[in-house]
Amino acid sequence: MRISAAVLILTLIADLISQAAGVSPPGKPRLTSCRSPEKETFTCWWEPGDDGGLPTTYALYYRLENTETVKECPDYKTAGENSCFFDKNATSLWVNYNITVVATNALGRNISEPVEVDVVYIVQPNTPENVKAVVIHEDRDPFVKVSWDKPRTADTRSGWITLHYQLRVKQEEDKEWVEYDAERQKNYNVFSLHSDREYMVQVRCKPDHGFWSEWTQTTYVKMPNYIPRERSLWIMITIFSVFIVFILTWMLKVKHNSVKLCLLPPVPGPKIKGFDKQLLKSGKSEEVFNSLVIPGFPPTTDYDDLLVEYLEVYDNEEQELVLDGKDLSEDSMKSKSPSDSDSGRGSCDSRTLLLDKCMEGSGNDQHNYSQHGETSWASSSECSESQGSPGSPESTDGRMKTWPVVFSSPQPHHHYQVGATKPAYHSVPEILKHSPSHAIPSNYHQLYLQDIPPQEGRFTKPPCRHSQSYNQFNMDNVDISEAGVPPSRSLEYVEVQRVNPENILLLRPLSDPNREPEGSDRIDEDYSKVKEVTSNNTLLLQRETSHQVVNDYSQDFESYADQCTAQQTPHPCKPVMTQLHSQDMRVMGNGYVDTTVLMPLYKQF
Amino acid sequence: MNTVKVLQVCVCVLILGQFLVSGAVPLDCKDDAGSRCASISQEKLLDRVIQHAELIYRVSEECCTLFEDMFVPYPLHVLINQAGNTCHSKHIPIPTSKSEIQQISDSWLLHSVLFLVQSWMEPLLYLQTTLDRYDDAPNALLSKTKWVSDKLLSLEQGVVVLIRKMLDEGIMASSTIFDHTQSPYDGQFPEVLESVIRDYHLLTCFKKDTHKMETFLKLLKCRQSNKLSCLPQ
Repeated sequence: MRISAAVLILTLIADLISQAAGVSPPGKPRLTSCRSPEKETFTCWWEPGDDGGLPTTYALYYRLENTETVKECPDYKTAGENSCFFDKNATSLWVNYNITVVATNALGRNISEPVEVDVVYIVQPNTPENVKAVVIHEDRDPFVKVSWDKPRTADTRSGWITLHYQLRVKQEEDKEWVEYDAERQKNYNVFSLHSDREYMVQVRCKPDHGFWSEWTQTTYVKMPNYIPRERSLWIMITIFSVFIVFILTWMLKVKHNSVKLCLLPPVPGPKIKGFDKQLLKSGKSEEVFNSLVIPGFPPTTDYDDLLVEYLEVYDNEEQELVLDGKDLSEDSMKSKSPSDSDSGRGSCDSRTLLLDKCMEGSGNDQHNYSQHGETSWASSSECSESQGSPGSPESTDGRMKTWPVVFSSPQPHHHYQVGATKPAYHSVPEILKHSPSHAIPSNYHQLYLQDIPPQEGRFTKPPCRHSQSYNQFNMDNVDISEAGVPPSRSLEYVEVQRVNPENILLLRPLSDPNREPEGSDRIDEDYSKVKEVTSNNTLLLQRETSHQVVNDYSQDFESYADQCTAQQTPHPCKPVMTQLHSQDMRVMGNGYVDTTVLMPLYKQF
Repeated sequence: MNTVKVLQVCVCVLILGQFLVSGAVPLDCKDDAGSRCASISQEKLLDRVIQHAELIYRVSEECCTLFEDMFVPYPLHVLINQAGNTCHSKHIPIPTSKSEIQQISDSWLLHSVLFLVQSWMEPLLYLQTTLDRYDDAPNALLSKTKWVSDKLLSLEQGVVVLIRKMLDEGIMASSTIFDHTQSPYDGQFPEVLESVIRDYHLLTCFKKDTHKMETFLKLLKCRQSNKLSCLPQ
């Protein structure tokens, strides 16, 4: 009792003394890590705790799994301070080791926490060795070839351990490393390094299942000074531009029309009614302008709209002029003009233009006359060209157009010498001109044209096509000096019976008893005498009672100014016209006022 | 155009024919005369087997980690491994050090692998059922376990063929060799904690054994390809 008590007291005192002196049992050590470099041996390290001021010894004990035997570390020295090295004989794979470290000093001992270790899972190889970085100059841009050896201890040859390698590169001044995986190879090519710079290279390795090794010591490599051949950039630029050019070309091709439309907008054609493009092309400006003078002035688009009652006024010139157009339009055109107010179209439609337009074509068809044996009035291809369908007498039913008045002499045996040179007129005299002059075999000067509409027999259609229409000529009473012509006075017409082979128009008056009863007979026919044929191959017609000839119809419109003067009329042309004008304001048999007479006169101006 | 098409068809047929010939041939095709069996070369077969083993090991490691994170708090790791539970494969005399392993023959290596594979078939099935019973077992864990047990079957098949080819031994590819009586997994369902401990133990043991298989096979490969250099130094 006493001894135990004494021991206790002594221990307490010793404790107190030691505490006063600053010594204590050791602190608890701690196993930091265990590593195996090649899966054949391994090493464990520990961290000593507080030593308590006294020399402390450490011992490592381990126990294999499923055994009870506790063994002590075989080697404390090889791996250095505070370590334990297990050699090959002491290493078992796939077996758990229970490892503890015991710290002992004079005052006591302390045991660390136990650690379970399976060697297979703690493999961390040594660093690769012998790292070399070499600059390779080949045909292309220089690059760096890095090569190394495996860590000496790792047995990769027998397949015991398989290592994966990794390297990293950077310049001195860079912050980040660039890492490359080399898999199981022991070399690697690094491209795209800048010229004239120094690079740092490091390598490390790792087994299949385990930890990465440490990085090797830095290897330095210097890139030479070279000019990089940036081929890829130029190739890309070329391809890109080719591609763009291709796309542009394709777009241009697709949008060809719209581009063309944008850059070269089409010149709008003239849209003046009565304006003939063909005339314009031919360069005869006078005719062009003449054609603008249309009977339907003020211009109207739809003749049907003008179905207004007309007045027959003979005194007032202007009104006559105006009304003329209306009358003509409403009566003469039974069928609606299919055409709109577009230009050039009225050529053969309108009476006034008949002379112009139809004559244009007549010249083309001179040779046709003999073929058919009959005249086709200016079956002008031009006429049809410029107008299209409207001018076709065939196409329209009952479309009547009044002819320009043709003057023929009341004596049937007059015939008209026509020269063959002027191609322009539709009028009978003109046509007569075309044909060589011969004696008229008959009393009649007739132009046979077919397809005369029965109703309007008096009116002749302009042969704008090669059709052959039965045209009649309005034999106007040239008695222009007479104003106030009684309405009963009718227009005189002459029929074209035929054209004989010598290209002579055989005309006969409508009132001829021999004539086929095609037209109305209500008209007293007056004939005008041909006074003479001028040197210009114009027929000067003469009225018995009137002053002077109105030879406008027979004139060549190129020279009607001359005609005017050549006419040798005491009156100025204009008065002639007006007189004619008044004269023309007659109601025809079926209520028409034939103003076609007027039109040629207009052209004088 | 037609000739081009015909050529293309011919080329396609040729290529496909090669695939058919070389690809889908069962591993245990009989080599006796008269039977048309295009067989795979030994090296390729060994490579495939090693790939299988590597993959299985990787997945088993993932399974173990998943289970640990979910069910086993850190301090228990040591406890579990310290406990008297040993992997059942400990009963099988398998060398555990490199020196030992390098001294054993090819035949022994292959047979060890086969034995290991066959010994794990049933425990894996058990694992699947027991893992299902946990409420919050991650789906990845379940699917990986299932996958591994399937892959193990193919691995067994491959090893059997290898044995037949390399060792000229006929052997039966059956897991019935393993002694079922030792299996403690029949019948009763233990408590949660106990179950956790047991399952964790199973998973760790499985991980080790798959690593063994992989190592053995790799050693074998080296020996096959390069007899001289693979000998122990």
